Amino acid sequence: MLNPPEASPAGRTVVTAVVIAVTLILQVSVANRLPLPGGVQPDLVLLAVVALALVAGSMTGMVTGFLAGLAADIIPPSDHTLGRYALVYCLIGYLCGVASAEMDRQSAVPFFAVAAGALAGTVLYAGTGMILGDPRAEWGTVSSMVPLQVLYDVIASPFVVWAVLRATRRYERGERSRGDRLSVPAARYRAMSGRGGNL
Amino acid sequence: MKDTRRTRVVLGALLVVALAMITIDYRGGADSPLRGLRGLGATVFGPVERASASVVRPVGDTFDAITDAPGERRRADRMLRQNQKLREQLRSAQLDQDRSAQLHRLLGTAGMGGYKIHAAQVISAGQGFEDTVTIDVGSRSGIKTDMTVMSADGLVGRITRVGPATSTVLLATDQTSSIGSRLEASKEIGITQGRGRRGLGGGGATPLRFQLLDAAAPIQVGQRIVTLGSQGQRPYVPGVPIGSVERIEKATNGLTRTAYVRPFVKFTSLDVVAVVVAPPKTDPRDAVLPPKPKPPATPTPTASPSATGSPSAKPRGSKSPSTRPSPGD
Repeated sequence: MLNPPEASPAGRTVVTAVVIAVTLILQVSVANRLPLPGGVQPDLVLLAVVALALVAGSMTGMVTGFLAGLAADIIPPSDHTLGRYALVYCLIGYLCGVASAEMDRQSAVPFFAVAAGALAGTVLYAGTGMILGDPRAEWGTVSSMVPLQVLYDVIASPFVVWAVLRATRRYERGERSRGDRLSVPAARYRAMSGRGGNL
Repeated sequence: MKDTRRTRVVLGALLVVALAMITIDYRGGADSPLRGLRGLGATVFGPVERASASVVRPVGDTFDAITDAPGERRRADRMLRQNQKLREQLRSAQLDQDRSAQLHRLLGTAGMGGYKIHAAQVISAGQGFEDTVTIDVGSRSGIKTDMTVMSADGLVGRITRVGPATSTVLLATDQTSSIGSRLEASKEIGITQGRGRRGLGGGGATPLRFQLLDAAAPIQVGQRIVTLGSQGQRPYVPGVPIGSVERIEKATNGLTRTAYVRPFVKFTSLDVVAVVVAPPKTDPRDAVLPPKPKPPATPTPTASPSATGSPSAKPRGSKSPSTRPSPGD
């Protein structure tokens, strides 16, 4: 620990912003350039939004999702209609935040939630493209890309979720001095999801 | 507070904002009122991407070194030879500096097409369905929108958006990209279109589609395609190699013929590219194309020794050293 946890809401906001910014930079400069088969890359930002929403609830989830999506819309190589990612990530953040309240019993659920969030986000993004008549989001392209992207997302999700939890853990400890010894991500979800959205 | 009234109000507000942005940006098209926001993005994230690219580059190089190990050896040999040749050229150029400027101009127009370029490096790639990359030069280096981007192998794309230190390149493989192009040697023109992100269509081998405007014009597998050059040399300068015809589709509608093209550039591993900041003074025609590969095991129809009007652009036989028919004759 470098410094003791300060005033928790501000600290949380800063940590969340840093997590999103770092994920976004990693997404465009590392993940998108990986020569993976199929020419599809995992959507790390979506995974980070899902993880943050599961940890912190629907309010944080949707605000984080909206801002992360807006940043993804304007970060340099982007060339799609502005606001598409903002819409999609905002909705996914909200839904995952709501879902986090109900899933504090079974330990496998968080992983399904991440997978479902990835699937919903990818499909929704493709859907907005189709509605807008984006020539890139033709059915042929979408139908071959979406399953592959969801697969990559699921493969990448444990790493992203672990990193996000790692980054936000300091503030969680500051708030909860009960000292939960659960280090499994699933258990951590369970431990934290009871707190709900307190932005 | 799990899902209170406040949460829903905020959600509704954010969704309305997002939808409003989509609508405004969609209706506005190229000069939408929200382009200032993108400019902000380029200003804020551009330098960060540059910095992060310099950090992650060694990692990527290591990754590439592992995957490309067999090819790298050959490449190193070729580079070594090229280096030697260049060094000799440099030495001879230094001998006579007075004439070297003239010589350079001459070589520039005659030899390599005479493009004036600005070297750049790819620092990030687009997300979702678009096939775009960011390069590390921007308006401070004199880059403007609609400039051609090429690499040592051929056409990469064009600049669509310019930030202070970075700019966005729409790759030729993007589905919204269409390039006026011309078949090598003949003057038959057509349109080269991208087939989607990283050439997802066609299993990655043929990420480009070439539509020949004249359905009756001859076209063959192996023929190469160069850019035709746009009006005012923007966005595409003439004579940049694009790729070679891999497969020709049977004409279905009779209006155009479609061929699938294997590009010279490897779009999955773009690194050093060049932005053409000044177009050539004259159309370089086919001068920039790499030397024609030797025809593999030519089943030479030597029965017809005199070159009688065969429309084929392929070098037939190897009787004389210069078998390539020139289009002007």
